Order: sequence, then C-alpha cells, then structure tokens
Amino acid sequence: MNATKQLMIEAKGVQKWYPNGFHALRGVDLEVNRGEKVVIMGPSGSGKSTFLRTFNALEDYQEGTVVVDGMELNNDLRNIDAVRKEVGMVFQQFNLFPHLSVLDNLLLAPIWVRKRNRAEVEQQALALLERVGIAEQAHKFPGQLSGGQQQRVAIARALCMEPRLMLFDEPTSSLDPEKVREVLDVMRQLAIDGMTMVVVTHEVGFAREVADRVVLMDEGRVVEIAPPDQFFNHPEHERSKRFLAQIL
Amino acid sequence: MKRLTISLRRQLFATPADGIISVGLLALLSWAGWGVLNWAINSAQWLVVRANAAALTIGRYPEAQEWRLWLLLGMLTSLAGLSWGRLRGASGWPLNDRIAAGLLLVLAVGVPPLLAFGPLNQIRVLFLLLILLLGRLAFSHRLSQALSKRFGDWWALIWGVAYVFGLWLIAGGLGLQAVRPSDWGGLLFTLLITSLTLLLALPLGVILALGRRSSLPLFRYISVGIIELIRGAPLITLLFLGQNLVGFLAPNGLAPDRVWRATGVLTVFAAAYLAEAIRGGLNAIPRGQFEAARSLGLSSVHTMALVVLPQALKVALPAMGGQCISLLQDTTLLSIIGLFDLLGIARSVLANPDWLGRYAEVYLLLAVLYWCSCAALSLGSRALEKRLASPGLQSIPKPQ
Amino acid sequence: MPVPWWRDNRKLGWLIQLVAGLFLLLAIALLLGNLERNLARAGLRLTLGWLNQPAGFDIAETLLPYRASDSYGRALLAGFVNTLRVVVSGLVLATALGVAVGAASFSGNPLLRSVTRVYVELVRNIPLLLQLVFWYFAVFLSLPSADQALQLPGMQLAKSGIYLFGADLVNGELVGGLRLSLELAALLTGLVIYSAAFIAEVVRGGIASVPLGQWEAAKSLGLKPLQILRLVVLPQALRVIVPGLNSQYISLAKNSSLAVAIGYPDLYAVAETTLNQTGRGIEVFLLLLVVYLMLDLVISVVMNAIDRLVRLQER
Repeated sequence: MNATKQLMIEAKGVQKWYPNGFHALRGVDLEVNRGEKVVIMGPSGSGKSTFLRTFNALEDYQEGTVVVDGMELNNDLRNIDAVRKEVGMVFQQFNLFPHLSVLDNLLLAPIWVRKRNRAEVEQQALALLERVGIAEQAHKFPGQLSGGQQQRVAIARALCMEPRLMLFDEPTSSLDPEKVREVLDVMRQLAIDGMTMVVVTHEVGFAREVADRVVLMDEGRVVEIAPPDQFFNHPEHERSKRFLAQIL
Repeated sequence: MKRLTISLRRQLFATPADGIISVGLLALLSWAGWGVLNWAINSAQWLVVRANAAALTIGRYPEAQEWRLWLLLGMLTSLAGLSWGRLRGASGWPLNDRIAAGLLLVLAVGVPPLLAFGPLNQIRVLFLLLILLLGRLAFSHRLSQALSKRFGDWWALIWGVAYVFGLWLIAGGLGLQAVRPSDWGGLLFTLLITSLTLLLALPLGVILALGRRSSLPLFRYISVGIIELIRGAPLITLLFLGQNLVGFLAPNGLAPDRVWRATGVLTVFAAAYLAEAIRGGLNAIPRGQFEAARSLGLSSVHTMALVVLPQALKVALPAMGGQCISLLQDTTLLSIIGLFDLLGIARSVLANPDWLGRYAEVYLLLAVLYWCSCAALSLGSRALEKRLASPGLQSIPKPQ
Repeated sequence: MPVPWWRDNRKLGWLIQLVAGLFLLLAIALLLGNLERNLARAGLRLTLGWLNQPAGFDIAETLLPYRASDSYGRALLAGFVNTLRVVVSGLVLATALGVAVGAASFSGNPLLRSVTRVYVELVRNIPLLLQLVFWYFAVFLSLPSADQALQLPGMQLAKSGIYLFGADLVNGELVGGLRLSLELAALLTGLVIYSAAFIAEVVRGGIASVPLGQWEAAKSLGLKPLQILRLVVLPQALRVIVPGLNSQYISLAKNSSLAVAIGYPDLYAVAETTLNQTGRGIEVFLLLLVVYLMLDLVISVVMNAIDRLVRLQER
C-alpha cells in the first residue's frame, strides 16, 4: 500500500460471463489515478454496474486483471479483504442496516474490522454525520429517515472506514427528484476534498461539473473515454452520439 | 345499553338464515354450557385433583426438598415481574396490566384452597404474586428506568444465568442432595424439558438453516437430508428410535439416561422445524444487506452474526413462536414412552384403582393448564415481536 | 504469484467440504462399527427374513383378514391398512369441517364468527394427544350399553361401538349397519376436530388474501354471499390454500400414529408390538420411516398436481 502510487485502479482486458452464459464484460480497460473522479455512463445492461463492482470484488471475473491500489483482485482472500477495507461503496438501494441506529450503522465496520475503540470512532462518526448534514439523526433508525437522508448516511458509513477510493453505483436513481440535489451536494464536496471517486450515474449535470473523465460503456465494452467537455459537446463515436441524443 | 342490544339484534338477525343460525347456536351453547356447569358442580368429583396436586405439579420430587422449587419459583417470578415492567416501559398502569393483575390476584387467592394447599403454601403463593407485582411496579419508577438503560443489554444474560442456576438448584449442587432427573415429573418436568429443548434446538436450527442455504453442496445436501427426514417422520417413531436404538449405536451398549435420550430426540426434532422457520427469515433479507456488509470489509462470519441473523431472526419470530407452542404440546408424547411429563403422571394417577373413571376431571384440568401455557407463550411471543421491531420499520420484509 | 491454498477463494470451499466429509465418514464408520458389534452380540443380524415368521399376536380390528398365525409381514400390512383407513377418512372429514369453519369465520353473523374463533383458539392450544385420550377415555368409554344406546340422526352410540346407517337391536346387541370401533371413532373424532382447526386457519388466510375489491365487484353484480364465495373468492383463494393444506395433510398423516395411545392398531402400534416380540429395532424403524415418508410423498405429489391445476385455470 505504497502511498506514493499514482494508479488507484488498473483494469486490463476484464472479461466476465454470468453462470447462464451471458457475456457481461467483453474485455474492458480502465485506469484511474489517485484523486481522479471518473463517471461511468451507459444504457442499462451495458455492464457499467458489473464493472464497478469488480473493483471491490462484489463481482468476480474470469479473464484479465483488476489491480486496486497495488493489490490484485484474484482468488486470494487476503487481497480481497484488504481491498474491501480501503474501498467504500454506496448503493442505489442505500442498504442501511435497519436494525441498527444511524450511529451504529457507522460504527459497526470500524469496530469489528479495523478493531478500533468505540469512543474514538464515535467522535469521528459524529463528525462525519455533521459533514453530510444529518448530525441530529444520529440516534434514529434508518426506517425513520427519508431517502435522501438514508443515502447520506450510507455515504457517511462508507467514509467512516477511511477509504482511499469511493465507488457509487447509481446513488441517486432511487431518490425522489427533490432529494437528488442534497446527495449530489455531498458527493460534490467529497470530490472537492480530494477523494478518488468512480461514479455510475445518469446525472449529466454532476458529470459535467465534477468528473475528470467520462467513460461510456455499451454491451460490455468501453466505447469512449473523454473529459466531460469533449464527451458531451464533441463525442467521437457513433454510439456515444446516439446515447447522448437519448439522455440530453 | 339499549343501542347495544339494538345493534346486536340487527346483526344477529340480519337475514332469516342468520336468524336461524343465531337461535340454533344460542340454543346449542346454552345447553352445552349448562350441561358442563351442572356436571362440574354436581357430579364431578374433584378430590382426585386435590389428592394428586403434588404429583401432577412436581412428580416424585422429594417433599423435603420442595423449598428449592419454591426458591426457584420466587427467583423466576421476580425476574418475570421485572421483565414485564421492562416490556411495558414507564407507561404507568394501562388497562390490560390492571386486568391481568386482578386476574392473577383472583387466581392466587382462589385456586390454592381448591387444590388443598396447606396454609403455609397458600401464603407462599400470595407472596410470589406480591413479588411479581412489585417487580412490575419497580419499572414505573424513574430510578429503575435509568438502571435499565445501563444494564438493559445484559437482560438476556441475566435470564440465562438464572436459568442455569435454577437447573443446578433443582438437580442438586452446592452440597444439596441430588435429585435424579427421573424423579422430576409433572408440570415441572414438562416446563423444564420444553425450555431446555428450545435452548438447545435454537443454535442447532440456525446451523441447519445456514447449512441448507450454503453454496457448498456437501453441507446443503446433508442439511436438506436431515431436515426432510425428520420432518417426514412422526415424532413418536423418532422417540421410539431414541429410546430403543441408541443403545445399539453407542459403544458397548452404553447409553445415557432415558430422559436425556428423549431430550436429545426432541432437540433434533425441534431444530429441524426451527430451521425451516429461520430459513424463511433468512430468505427475506435482501441481498443488498449482504453486499453492503461485505463491501464494508466485514467477514462472512461478522456479516452473518451482526447484520443478517439479527434481522432474519426478527422476521422468523412469529413462526418460531408457533414452533415453541408445538414443542410444548409435543412433550405430551413423552407419556407414551413411559416418561412422567404432565400427561404421563396424569395417566398413572388414573391407572390407580382409587381414581378409576375420573378421566374427565383430570383431563379437563390438564386441558386448562396446557391451554394457559400455550396462550401465555403466544402472548409473550407477540409482545416480544412488538418490542423488537425497530422503530419506523415499515419495510420489514415478510417471509415467503 | 500463485495463491497459497489456504487463502484461495475458489479452492477453500472444496477443501472445507473434503475435511468435513472425512470427519463425517469417520463418525459414520464408528457408529456402524458399534452397531455391527452390538447386533452381533444380541444375535440380530440385519435381515428381513423374520417377516415371514408367524406373528403370534392378535390385532383388535382389521380390514384385512388376519389371524395370529399369520406372518409379521401380514400383521404390519394390516396395521398399514388401518392407518390408511384413518388417514383417508380423516383427511376428507377434516377438510370438510375445516372449510366450513374457515368460511364461517367471514360470516356476517357475529355469534357465528365468535364461535369459530373460540373453537380454533381452544383446539390449537391443547395438545392433540390430550384431546385424543379425552375423547376416548372420558367420552367414548362412558357410552351406555347397547340396549340403552344413544340415538343421534343416522347413528347409534353404544359401548360396543358406533353404528352408522341403521342397526337393529337383537338380543340386547346391536347388529348390522356400518360399525366403527370406539377406538377408531375416538381417533377420528380427535384427529378431525384438531386438524380442522388448523385447516380452518389455512382457509381463512387464503380467503383473506383475496382483495376486497373482488367481494365488492361481485356484490355489485348482485351475487349472494354464498355464491360469491363459491364462484369468485374460493377459486382465487385456492392458490394460497393448497400449499398450506399440503403441510396440514402431512401433519394429519403423521399424527395418526398417536393411535397407539388409545389402542387402535395402526401401523405404528403393530410395529411397536412387533419390535417388542422380535427385538428387531433397526429393521422395524427403517420400515416405519420408509412407509411414512412414502405416505408424505404421495400426499405431496397429489397436492402439487392439484396446485398446478388450480394455477393453470388462472391462465
């Protein structure tokens, strides 16, 4: 875990087949540098979520390599555990633990995985809740919060493990339109603070503002990678143009 | 009052068919009710119950050691009172609680003389009721609320310790005279076997449920095999197996006491059914919970223990409560293999020529005892469900 | 860099199974070894030849002609036939009663509703065995003798049995008609009343699962309550009811083994006697297990077929 390593994610020639034979990833490459914000877009079924989930071993792959922060994700359990500690993930369905309070949701992993002391983690957790704007809800339960609040708790929960990389899998797709803004604000601030982020999303405005590069995927392949200005205004590939025509 | 009768009359006689049904039912019910009451007061001979009350409740437990049972009962009632108070919280004395307390008072004063308890025992019963109510009361006070906040998490542990201590107290330890399990009988035996079996079957059931969902084929097939085999066989055949055949499987024909053999069989039996209930709970937990826990770095064991199982067990609680009640009822089968649970003792009492033909009285008493125990379990399970429901949890998944 | 085996995600699963499998085989080998030794010592090698030996005991009632000189095999068969008798008639009667009670719990008549509620709550919380011994000892055994038989529509109840479809008093005894022994009658009564309560709950759950809109639409079309139930609600409720009935029927089949407690010679009772006389524990137990499991299987297969039928008609 060399701190001076520039490359956060290095994926080469990744291929994945589902057990039913479906070829989900057909040889994708991607490099993400430390501090970079990459947005992945594409039509549904393009494999963008699948690709994202290979970065923390939620999905396995049959061919190619994925190296995260210098650790190769293969069958080695030690690598998988090590990577998961340093990579945080935010899900479309929030996936908060309903039987624990908001605060306990944040404290669970640091206490049991990083073996930290409860009192000190609590300080950090409360500070994080403050940072995402819901410090007063610390002792409520997820079921008592709105969607936007729950997603912000989910972000804080991932941040509580002090990850080096944050993955977002369509974080606002399950939210009511009024709630989308509050979550995007948190993500925007996170980007400004220097976190390396890979975000799968449909939010064009966010991509334009925050992304360093935009990746378009379609049918399990990377179609185009370009900075947002170039991607949204002067796309190169035919399929990119078609995709943009649909969403813009 | 007048409005009530008018609305009742309208509902009961809405249509001619309804009218006939209502009249017919009322006639039938009053005839049956009168017949039962008449029998209970005039022709029934309740002496059989009074004379055998001790045997029915504690079997052949030596009389000189009965004080240990009273001590245990006192401990349990105080814990029960405190738990009752804790479940209700600081909401004063709601109507339900007042009715329950009143009912218990009536029972505590009225039943012991019926069962020919000596004056000393009658006082003991009243004292127990006092402890129960005091325990309940203790929680209305703000001081105990504060205590509860600090020690609340230890509650299950306290019950566990009390249970083990109680078992030890009854069986004999601390220099007390040992009382063999084969001498425990009656209601005591039934309750003990039920609770012990439940405690042992729960972890076994969790293991079987996890095994059935395992991705490793060996564990999955073994779990399925065990569960389906046990669920397909009548309990009596399994008890039979336990009593007669364990001797063949053990080295040199060495086999544990009959009571423990039966407990073992009951445990495995209950575990198979519990496993299905728990599996329903596990199936109801969305995959996202697993994924979120794993992506936070939690190991499989931690994920199960801290995230999935607590939720799954909560969902499975109604089904598990039903299994508890079934287990209590299944203990009656122990009487067929010659053990002295409540029904077994009752049948041996009835076999005594002194009490020939008093079937109705004894069995009716038993019916009341079992019904009350099952109803109590039912209420307790529902209260536990409400207590454990996380606030604001409308999205709690329902088992398929 | 090759991954060491103890950290390899893919290999770990197989390794665990290998080790566990070895332990299991060891345990089984140990138990079987003990079994072999103990059986040899008792002179009981595992075989089925003893089924042909004469049984030497009587069976109180059989549909199958049987004498004490017949073989053990025939005795067990007679017991099995007795079990079938109870299970089949029990299933039919319990279903009828259960459906009636379940449907009645939706009646407009509050008295009827309360009665069904009380019936279900009462019966479900009292152990079946207790109910069986109650019916047999406290009720049926105290019936009057034949010349003072209790008269009910279509049947006569006496100490010698329950007589259906007309029987005549001849020399102080009842003859003719269909006779049920007291044991069978008590067993059926207890089983049916107990199972019907659970079936009623299944039916109630099924009917409750049909959306209220269906009732309202049917009512606005002018259908009467009984018609609504029969033509609109029950067919849809069956989707939910049939799987529930499957487990209740299997329970009933298994509960029939409690016959041993009141002296009805069902399969289990005969098997117990056989075991006591021959000492052939393992064989008898395996036989019982196989028979009951097959009974469960048959019930499940039939119910699954009905289930598919009920669902197909939806298309």
